[in-house]
Amino acid sequence: MSTRGRSELQINLATNIVIISMAMLFATLFMGYAIYRSSAPVWPPMGVQRVSLLLPSLSTVVLFISSFFCYQVSVSTKKNELSKGHKYLNLTILFGVGFMVLQGLLWNQMKSSGLFVSSGIFASITYAFTWIHFAHMVAGLLALLYLKKILKPETVNLLTKTSSVENFWYFLEIVWIIMFITLFVF
Amino acid sequence: MSGGYNEIHPEPTTFWSKYIFSFDHKVIAKQFLWYGIFFLGVGGLMALLIRWTLANPGVPVPLIGNILFSGSGGVVPPDTYAMLFTMHGTIMIFYAITPILIGAFGNYCIPLMIGARDMAFPLLNMLSFWFAFLSGAVLLLSLFIPQGAAAGGWTSYPTLSTLIGSPGAGQTLWCVAIFIFGISSTMGAVNYVTTVITLRAPGMGYFDMPLTVWGLWLTAILNAIFVPVLGAGVILLILDRVFGTTFFLAGASATSGSGDPVLFQHVFWIFGHPEVYILILPAWGIVSDLLSFFSRKPAFGAKATALSMTSISILSTLVYGHHMFTTQMSPLLTQSFMTLTMTISIPSAIFFANWLGTIWKGSIRFDSPMLFSLGVVFVFGLGGLTGLHLGTTTTDLFLHDTYFVVGHFHYTMAASVLLGGFAGIYFWFPKMFGRMMHEGLAKVHFWGTMIPLNGIFFGMLLVGYGGMHRRIYNPFIYESLQRLIPVNNLITTSAILMGFFQLVFVYNLIKSLLSGEKATNNPWEVGTLEWTIPSPPPHHNYDIIPVVKCGPHELGNPNLKTGRDFQYQTEELVQA
Ligand code: HEM
Ligand SMILES: [Cu+2]
Repeated sequence: MSTRGRSELQINLATNIVIISMAMLFATLFMGYAIYRSSAPVWPPMGVQRVSLLLPSLSTVVLFISSFFCYQVSVSTKKNELSKGHKYLNLTILFGVGFMVLQGLLWNQMKSSGLFVSSGIFASITYAFTWIHFAHMVAGLLALLYLKKILKPETVNLLTKTSSVENFWYFLEIVWIIMFITLFVF
Repeated sequence: MSGGYNEIHPEPTTFWSKYIFSFDHKVIAKQFLWYGIFFLGVGGLMALLIRWTLANPGVPVPLIGNILFSGSGGVVPPDTYAMLFTMHGTIMIFYAITPILIGAFGNYCIPLMIGARDMAFPLLNMLSFWFAFLSGAVLLLSLFIPQGAAAGGWTSYPTLSTLIGSPGAGQTLWCVAIFIFGISSTMGAVNYVTTVITLRAPGMGYFDMPLTVWGLWLTAILNAIFVPVLGAGVILLILDRVFGTTFFLAGASATSGSGDPVLFQHVFWIFGHPEVYILILPAWGIVSDLLSFFSRKPAFGAKATALSMTSISILSTLVYGHHMFTTQMSPLLTQSFMTLTMTISIPSAIFFANWLGTIWKGSIRFDSPMLFSLGVVFVFGLGGLTGLHLGTTTTDLFLHDTYFVVGHFHYTMAASVLLGGFAGIYFWFPKMFGRMMHEGLAKVHFWGTMIPLNGIFFGMLLVGYGGMHRRIYNPFIYESLQRLIPVNNLITTSAILMGFFQLVFVYNLIKSLLSGEKATNNPWEVGTLEWTIPSPPPHHNYDIIPVVKCGPHELGNPNLKTGRDFQYQTEELVQA
C-alpha cells in the first residue's frame, strides 16, 4: 500500500468508526423510544399536546439546505475551485447555525406551551433527543470550522478530509430526519 | 488529525513531552499500566472491606477501621457497604482490568507485534489516556462528597440509581465518569481497529498476526459498537437525575405518561454482555500465544482459535437476555436467549480444546508467564462451566442474584483476566523496561494467588448454591444462612491471604524496575516481531520495517538447522 493510500484509508476508517459509534448511541435512543411508544396506551400520553410542526419542519428544510451546500463544498474541492469551496462552506455553516437557532426557538415554544422537561415521558423524549442531537451538531460545527481552516491547496489528503467532514454532516442530517419523522410527524 | 504515515517521528526532548503528554504508544501503554495497577489496589482494598464485613458482621475492621469509619467505631456502616460493592465492581471492571488489558497491552503490543512504528493516530491515543485519567479523577472525587459515592451496584439499575434510590451527587458523578470513560474507550478503539487494518508489516496477513493482536482487535471492534449503548443509557440517567426527565421512573413517581425502569436493564446488558467479552478477549489472545510459546509447539488450530474468537464476539451480541430471565420476559424470548447462550458453548469448546491441544505433548517450560497461563486455563474452564448453569433458565431462576453468579463472574472475569494480565506483565516486562522480573518471587506470587483465589471464588459458588444472596449487608440475620458462616470465613481468610501475596508482586515490580537483571532482546526465545528488536525498543521501534514471512507460532520445527527451536517471523518458513 502506498503511504498516501494508507493514510487516506486511515482517515476513512476512523471517520466511519466514529459514525458507527454515534449511530449506535442514537439507535439505542430510538430503541427506547420504540418501546415507550409501543407500550403506551395512547400517544401522545393523556393530556399532552403534540408539538406544532412549524418549527421542526423549518429546521428540516434549513438543515437540508445546509447539507446541499456541504455537498457543493466537496464538488468544488474536487474540481480544485477552493475559493468557491470556501463560499459554500460559509453557507453550510450559516445554515447549520440557523438550524441550531431554530432548535432554541423550538425549546422556547415547547416551554411556553406548557411542555416542560419534567412533564412526563413525551416531554422527556422530545427534549432529550433534540438536546443530544444538538450536542452532536456542535461537534459537527467544529468539524466544519476545522475544514474551513485546512481548505487550502497545500493540505495533504484534502479530498479525503473534506469527504470525512461531509459524511459526518450528512449523518447528523439523517439522524435529524429520522427524529423529525418519528418524534414530530407521526 | 495527523494521519499516520508509519514514518520516524523526531524523538521528544522535554520531560513533559516524553513522559506526560507523550504520543509514543509505549509510553502511553506504561501510563495505562500504572493507572490500572493503582486502581487494582484501590479496588482490592474495597474487596477486603466487603469480605471482612461478610465474615465478621458488626466487628470493627482491624488496623484501618478506626481511620475510615470513625463514626461507627470502626465497623463498615450499611450504606457504606453498598458504596463499597458498587465502587469495587466499577473500579475493577472499568478502571483496573480495562486499562491494564486493553490500555496497556493494547497500546504496547499492537504496534510492536504487527511491525509498526506507532499507532495510526498518536494524538488521539494520548487523548484517550487523558480522558481515562479525567474519568478516574471524577470517580475518585465522588468518594469524598457528602452522602458518598454511588451505591446502586456496578449495574446501577433504576430505581436504585434514580433520585429516589440515591439522592446524593455520587450516582450522577458515577454516570459522568462512565461517560467520559466511554469516550476514552471509543478513541482507543478507533486507533486499534485502524492500526491493525492499515499498519501491518508487509507480508503479514490477518492469520499471521499473533492471537494477542486478534483478541485486542476484536475487543476494539466490540468496544466501538457497544460502549456507545451504555453511553446512551447513562446520558438518559443523568437527564433523569439532573433535569427531571422520567425515562426510568414509573408509576406514581412519573407524573404523566410512564417511564420504564426495566428499559435500563436492556440497555445495560446490550452493552454489558459484549463488555464481558471485551474484557476476556485480550486475555484469551495473550494466553493462546503464551501456551504455544512455552510449550515450544505451534498453537494447535491457531486459525480455528482466531475464528472461534470471532464467532464468540459475534454471538456475544445476541445473548444479553440471559441476565434478565427473572424480569418477566415472554417465555419465547427467554427460550431464544437461552438457546443462543448455549450456542456460544460451541465455539468456546473448540477454542478451549485448542488450548489443550497446544499444550498436549509440548516440552513445557514452567516459567512464570506459563504458570499464569495454565492458571487461566483452569479457572476459565470452571468459570465457563458455571455459565451453563446460569444460562439455563430453569436453574437460573434459583441461582439468579445469589453468590453463585458472583462466583461465576469472578472465575471468568476476575480470576481469568487477572491471571491473564499477570501472565502478560511477566512476559512483556523485559521488553517494556529492559529488565527481567525476579522469577522466584514470581512463582511465589503465582501459588500465593492461585490457591487462595480458588478458596475465594469456589467458596462463593458454594455459598451461592447454599442460597446466600449477593449485595446483602448481613446475610446472617436469616437463620437459614447461618450455617454458611464457616465457608464465608474461609473466603475472607483466603482473600486476606491473596491480598498479602499481591504485595510480593508489587515488591517484585519495584525491585525489578530498579535493579532487575538486564534483559536480552529475546529472553523467552520466541519469534514474534517485538523480540527481534532491543529491550526496551528504541523510540521508533523498527529502524527498518520488517518483512513477515511466516506465522507467529513456528516453534519446535524438526527441520530447523539454526540451533534454535523457533524461528522469527521475518524468516522464511523452514520446510523438510
Ligand atoms: C462461557 C459461557 C458463559 C455463559 C453461558 C454465561 C452465562 C451467564 C449468565 C446466564 C449470567 C446471568 C446470571 C444471573 O444473573 O442470574 C451471567 C452473569 C455474568 N457473567 Fe457470564 N457466562 C459466560 C461467560 C462469561 C464470561 C467469559 C464472562 C467475563 C469475562 C462473564 C461475565 C459475567 C458477568 C460479569 C456476569 C454478572 C454480572 C452481574 O449480574 O453483576 N461470563 N453469565
Ligand atoms: Cu452475559
